[in-house]
Amino acid sequence: MKYCVLVAYVPDTASIIKIGGAGNRIDEGGIKWIISPYDEFALEEAIRLKEARGGEVTVITYGPDRGSTGLRECLARGADRAVHVMGGEATFGDAFAIARVLAAAVQKAGPFDLILCGIKGVGSDQSLVGAMVAELLDVPHVSGVVKLEVGEGSLTAQRDVEGGTEVFTAPLPCLVAAHKGLNEPRYPSLKGIMAAKKIPIETWKPADLGLDEAALGGAEATSRWLKLELPAAKAGGTILNGEEDPAGAARELARLLRHEAKAI
Amino acid sequence: MAYQADMRDVLFQLFEWLPTRELLAHERFSEWDPDSVQMVLQEALKLSQEVLGPANVEGDRVGARWENGKVYLPPSFHDAYQKIKEGGWIGCINNPEYGGMGLPEVIGTAVNEFFFGSNISLSLTALLTRGAGYLVEKFGTDEMRQLFCERMYSGQWAGTMCLTEPQAGSDVGASKTRAIKQPNGRYLIQGEKIFITSGDQDLTENIIHAVLARTPDAEPGTKGLSLFVVPKYRVNPDGSLGEFNDVACSNIEHKLGIHGSPTCSLVFGQNDACEGFLLGQEQEGMKLMFYMMNPARIEVGLQGAALAAAAYQAALAYAKTRLQGRHYSKLKDADAPQVAIIEHPDVRRMLFTSNAYVHAMRALLMQTSYYVDMSRLSEGEEAERYQSYVDVLTPICKAWASDWGFRVTEWCLQVFGGYGYTMEYPAEQYLRDAKIASIYEGTNGIQALDFVARKLPLKGGKPIRDLLGKAEETFKKLRNDPQLMEPAWMLAAALKQIEDLSKGLGKRPDAMMVVLLNSVPLLDMVGDVLGAHFLLEQAIVAREKLAAIFAAKGVDASDKKACRAVIEDDGEAAFYHNKVQLAIHFAYRVLPGVTAKAVAIRAGEMAPMEAVL
Repeated sequence: MKYCVLVAYVPDTASIIKIGGAGNRIDEGGIKWIISPYDEFALEEAIRLKEARGGEVTVITYGPDRGSTGLRECLARGADRAVHVMGGEATFGDAFAIARVLAAAVQKAGPFDLILCGIKGVGSDQSLVGAMVAELLDVPHVSGVVKLEVGEGSLTAQRDVEGGTEVFTAPLPCLVAAHKGLNEPRYPSLKGIMAAKKIPIETWKPADLGLDEAALGGAEATSRWLKLELPAAKAGGTILNGEEDPAGAARELARLLRHEAKAI
Repeated sequence: MAYQADMRDVLFQLFEWLPTRELLAHERFSEWDPDSVQMVLQEALKLSQEVLGPANVEGDRVGARWENGKVYLPPSFHDAYQKIKEGGWIGCINNPEYGGMGLPEVIGTAVNEFFFGSNISLSLTALLTRGAGYLVEKFGTDEMRQLFCERMYSGQWAGTMCLTEPQAGSDVGASKTRAIKQPNGRYLIQGEKIFITSGDQDLTENIIHAVLARTPDAEPGTKGLSLFVVPKYRVNPDGSLGEFNDVACSNIEHKLGIHGSPTCSLVFGQNDACEGFLLGQEQEGMKLMFYMMNPARIEVGLQGAALAAAAYQAALAYAKTRLQGRHYSKLKDADAPQVAIIEHPDVRRMLFTSNAYVHAMRALLMQTSYYVDMSRLSEGEEAERYQSYVDVLTPICKAWASDWGFRVTEWCLQVFGGYGYTMEYPAEQYLRDAKIASIYEGTNGIQALDFVARKLPLKGGKPIRDLLGKAEETFKKLRNDPQLMEPAWMLAAALKQIEDLSKGLGKRPDAMMVVLLNSVPLLDMVGDVLGAHFLLEQAIVAREKLAAIFAAKGVDASDKKACRAVIEDDGEAAFYHNKVQLAIHFAYRVLPGVTAKAVAIRAGEMAPMEAVL
């Protein structure tokens, strides 16, 4: 079996975000970059499948130089091969352009039996790229997967929906977008880190995939980020001390809910 | 509050101050490079924050439990131990030939700052396992190496260090544990050891004790001690476990801190069935044991530094969010809003002094670890020179970092005010967990005696002259520096005090008593001077980097307003700026104390001896 995992290298969710650039980007100074946590589930699942039944795990990322650090970490966890498609500046935040690049990279690096990715890249949170890649590759996809079983030529995937669980079967090759709960990602071992150093990362450009990045981000762009804003600062909460006069506090709470918050 | 660490300073000290890049280029470390080492550090920190740190509170509140002769650790410790074992972290600096990961010591020190800072109780097991494994590797037979080392470095089995007995604490030579040679070449071990860290636990299937014991006709005192490897369970030739080796845990201590680390009383051979294997020759046990004790002393110093660093990060985070009082510019304005306590000058001073010591301790430990690496990479005289630096610095690492590390945890608790005294916040646990570092592994009083009696005179005093000579060089670099001239001259004045004492003390008729009475302050003085020297050296590097940032941003370095704006906006610029400020602060607040101590020592004040106590 050949597995492909698509990973995004994103700002750590614990980073302090400032708006930078022309007001439509974050300020990248001082940001710590991490593999998008949902992609970690995808990677872990691929490595477990490989460990259980053999095969090879290829990780692919599309982004600037720093993406190689993320790929190195994937190798340290047990991936066998890493492809870095350099770029991403012109297509920033345009899910369809990113999907086109990744789909072309998957095609060039493949064929694969199973393609995995996270349900979304933390940061832009669009949940679009996985499904788009699947469509571009003309393979089925299941998104938001929390349980996965891979058989001969097909898979069974489970996803949580409101009030229940959906179970899908799909033929291989297939794309699976992982959700939290699929597994508990491992920490890289020192041996893994040592071994990762010896694996060369393949570096491609969109042009190597027959794509013109300037056009993807220009005439062919499907979306652009116009403006980013930080959420408005939260007003301080109100604490009602009900220890001495519970009934009075309850009355005040009801009043506030009715007249201030207008919730009832 | 989750464990936080100053990764930026760790990376600065490793890659911008110390020549770690050159170290990693050496053939011995060919498995590693700067990129992979940075990943190692990131992963170590992640494990510390996500696994070791969260287990630390349970370790404290639930603690180790003794029941029917067995010790049990809380469930979170089992999970955390499993993760550091699987990752290969236990033997991270040990010999790859025997399953270690072969990282340089200086990287191990950085990794262990995170591990110790986030969970010292659990990390002590790993510390002792590394050390006991190393004794077997260095002095065991081939068969012992094959059976024990890899299983220990991988964390499958753990190790301990057994010296103390009820009547033999600092006076190790009073040990009574007996070792009687058997016809098969093995020894029957019989006796009681106390205060044995991780002497029993349920994390590993076997425990390998390094035990000092006395053969029947041995000389009295430390000279007559021999060193034995004593497994908890006997080991079959194929490495599988055999029968119980009659090592019983009779009790664990109830103590101030490190509740997750079982401090055990062990009874060896109460049924005449405890078998030990001699390491090296009979009656050279104490000498051999130092191969475990010296690295452990450096690591205990790191315990002080790491807990201080963790306490500082917690206090800093708290001070940024806790609102109390008005801003100092609006003290008379009753309507002024409350501000975060980090705005208050006194809180800033406590935090900054704490951080200055943390950076200085980190520097001392990293510099010493770097010398350990260099002593192994070089040969002949050069190797001896580096080893002599390690020998002199070891008691300073142990005593200076554990004493000041503890004090930093106290200042950081103070930052929290009343909440610091409660168990709601981690400050009090850091303080309790740090205290033991000045006591075990040779009390700081013993360290100071070792320093003045053995280490200062070592090789005719050349190593200490070399080390202080480096501080002298730092002074020379900065003697005319407009910004750092005063700290530099304070360093020179402190060095002069040490030099005068070293020349004058020996000539006094009461020299012996003056030195015995003042060994701790003497060690402290040298620690203070080295700390100031390291921070000033780092300030020189930081200032160059800061100037480069100003230049890259097109800011004129003489335009103070513009520079300030850059420092406030750019995290890197702020880091370098703070490095310079830390060096200035440390020099002003610490170095005058060196002179003050020298005055007292030179005066020959003897009141503690004159007094009737």
